[in-house]
Amino acid sequence: MKKALNAIGNYFKNIGIAFVRGDVWVKLSAVLMGAGYFARKQVINGIIMFLVEALFVVLCAGYAAPNLAKFGTLGTVQFEQVFDPLTMTSTVNDYDNSFLILLNSIMALFLILVFVLFWIANMKAVYRLQVQKENGEHINTFKEDVQALFNEKFHITLLTLPAIGIILMNILPILVLVAVAFTNYDQQHMPPSALFTWVGWSNFKNLFTDSVTVTFGYSFKKVLAWTLEWAVLATFTTYIGGILLAKFINNKKTKLPKMWRTLFIIAIAVPQFVTLLLVRNFFADSGIVNTFCTSIGLTDFLKNVGLVPANLSYIPFLTNPGWAKVMIVIINIWVGIPYQMLIATGVLMNIPEDQIESARIDGANPFQIFVKITMPYMLFVTGPSLITDFVKNINNFNVIYLLTQDVYVTSDQLLANSNAKEIDLLVTWLFRLTNEYYNYKMASVIGIIVFIICAAFTLVTFTRTIKGDKEEEFQ
Amino acid sequence: MKKTIQAILRHVVLLLLAVVWLIPILWLFVTSFSGYKGINTSHFFPETWTLDNYAQLFLRADSIVQYNKWFMNTFVIAVFTCVISTILVLMVSYTMSKLRFPGRKSLMSFSIILNMFPGVLSMIAIYFILKTFNLTNSHIGMIIVYSAGAGLGFLICKGFMDTISVSLSEAARLEGASEAKIFFKIIIPLSKPIIVYTVISSFLIPWGDFVFAKLMLNSGIATDWTVAIGLFNMLSKSMIAKYFSVFCAGGVVISVPISILFLIMQKFYVEGITGGSVKG
Repeated sequence: MKKALNAIGNYFKNIGIAFVRGDVWVKLSAVLMGAGYFARKQVINGIIMFLVEALFVVLCAGYAAPNLAKFGTLGTVQFEQVFDPLTMTSTVNDYDNSFLILLNSIMALFLILVFVLFWIANMKAVYRLQVQKENGEHINTFKEDVQALFNEKFHITLLTLPAIGIILMNILPILVLVAVAFTNYDQQHMPPSALFTWVGWSNFKNLFTDSVTVTFGYSFKKVLAWTLEWAVLATFTTYIGGILLAKFINNKKTKLPKMWRTLFIIAIAVPQFVTLLLVRNFFADSGIVNTFCTSIGLTDFLKNVGLVPANLSYIPFLTNPGWAKVMIVIINIWVGIPYQMLIATGVLMNIPEDQIESARIDGANPFQIFVKITMPYMLFVTGPSLITDFVKNINNFNVIYLLTQDVYVTSDQLLANSNAKEIDLLVTWLFRLTNEYYNYKMASVIGIIVFIICAAFTLVTFTRTIKGDKEEEFQ
Repeated sequence: MKKTIQAILRHVVLLLLAVVWLIPILWLFVTSFSGYKGINTSHFFPETWTLDNYAQLFLRADSIVQYNKWFMNTFVIAVFTCVISTILVLMVSYTMSKLRFPGRKSLMSFSIILNMFPGVLSMIAIYFILKTFNLTNSHIGMIIVYSAGAGLGFLICKGFMDTISVSLSEAARLEGASEAKIFFKIIIPLSKPIIVYTVISSFLIPWGDFVFAKLMLNSGIATDWTVAIGLFNMLSKSMIAKYFSVFCAGGVVISVPISILFLIMQKFYVEGITGGSVKG
């Protein structure tokens, strides 16, 4: 922490030094970015800097300024279409598109930030040139500067392209998401035909309100509780199951371990959406499993025990809240165990054999060995990935959506009012809110909440990943 | 005697488990040969066997089934995605593994945190950004979605490059090779296994992805879709009675190449999860 503050402090100190000790050319560079280079006979660098500055000014005037001017209101001119019966054409007025204003403003702010950093870097570079000249050191020609990009500055060359991609696909969307959470962007406020605007924290308040008209609070509590339950169940069942299966197959008494392992892997090698959609029909209300259960009398038995409502002639595997939740967890075990088995197999093979051997000589039984030696070792190696798995399960969209979409209908009116279902995770709820109900404002709020939950858990892993970084070990 | 019984019991248990795991796959396979188009709810095996579902898939495209088109779409998207992603991943992992520059550690930490942010959450925003540039319902848009952020997934590849001895690049540097030359002539040839892994895993993304494709390719025109969307659509309520066995046939056809690729890359999968602490 202190180190980081120091680094920031130094960063600004260096600009100050450049300003105070720089000669007239350096000072002129603050306004005309190429100036310092011209003075040191780096003409091409100077021209490039000058062009960058000119481009920025043009972008500011033509793009950033008009958008940022409307950023406070997100647009005021309503979309209007006038039909002219004489020419049989309709004309559209010069309307404001709130979303475009929002998006462009964020990009414009980004542009300005990048330019400021660029400007600071330029000031420092120009000052460095001055110092070099004063000390009579060699000043790079343009050719040498370009060559440096493939040598000591190769990291800049390599990282530029990936960074642009990441900024566009990862950072920008997150910023937009956060911004939308503070607007009233929903089905009644859809650009281009309608405007939306800032509403402050009211969406967040909505999410925690539980009243007759707004049931988001009620749904949020239910969905959040099930999301966490699900994540814990899904993570632990597959983790333990995977270890047990791996141990079972790795046991010396098992013949052909490779063949067994491959059989289980085939089940996950088939794309998930194929298997999950298939399994969903396998367990449909009038599906093949139900036919089977009826014919062997299981359905009647479950009815008698009270596990299946008396008015049904089938087992509601994926249509009754309780059954669906259990089934989803079971089907997820089916999906998840082979993955965990793969990992566990790799780890188990590395358990120091002598430890187990000496424990055996001391008279430990297999169960004791498993609890006292195998598990601690497994947890030590796979602990971080366990938390990653937990976070992945919080966001396990595929299993829930593919198994229940179009099949599961909620009977809870309060949940239905806020477009949620009993079996929804926060992500599937978010997806339905956007994809079917165009309720972007609430979806964004939920997105932020999920992010906070995930971030809290990942920070724990994160410190370990960094600490456990063995990058220098082999070098 | 007791030992033999135990051994038999052990294998019987394994066999039962394997059956449980393979039943859906088997059902997929046999139903793809079913003469009845809907779901057979009374028998596991089809009553009549035929190859007609495959014929319908490949030869008789209609407004709902455009399998050849979907396959081509997904294939093209997958090829571009894997080329772009692999290049981006290699660039970032080499930089992080072999080059030393100020801010490297913090940049790495930052990208690890950023990578933990689930993509599903920001997909609405991604959708609108692409829509602004008129890239929804286009394959270029899909390629961008799958590959643009690929640079963040550098950890596994970097871990591999960390194991390449630094003395090689030191020697090259002494001979006067530039960093770029070291990258292309020394590191890339030595990283072949991890490049194979990166290529396969990014190639598989478009085949398995469902969410983004559903969101982006929403025009309702069947010829635009990827395999995942097309197959999902066949199982919607109004279609399922007429297309279920065709869906199974489609599932079998894409599962074969995908499974093979998956089996090749699964050994790297373990390495990636455990952060290279497994050397087996």
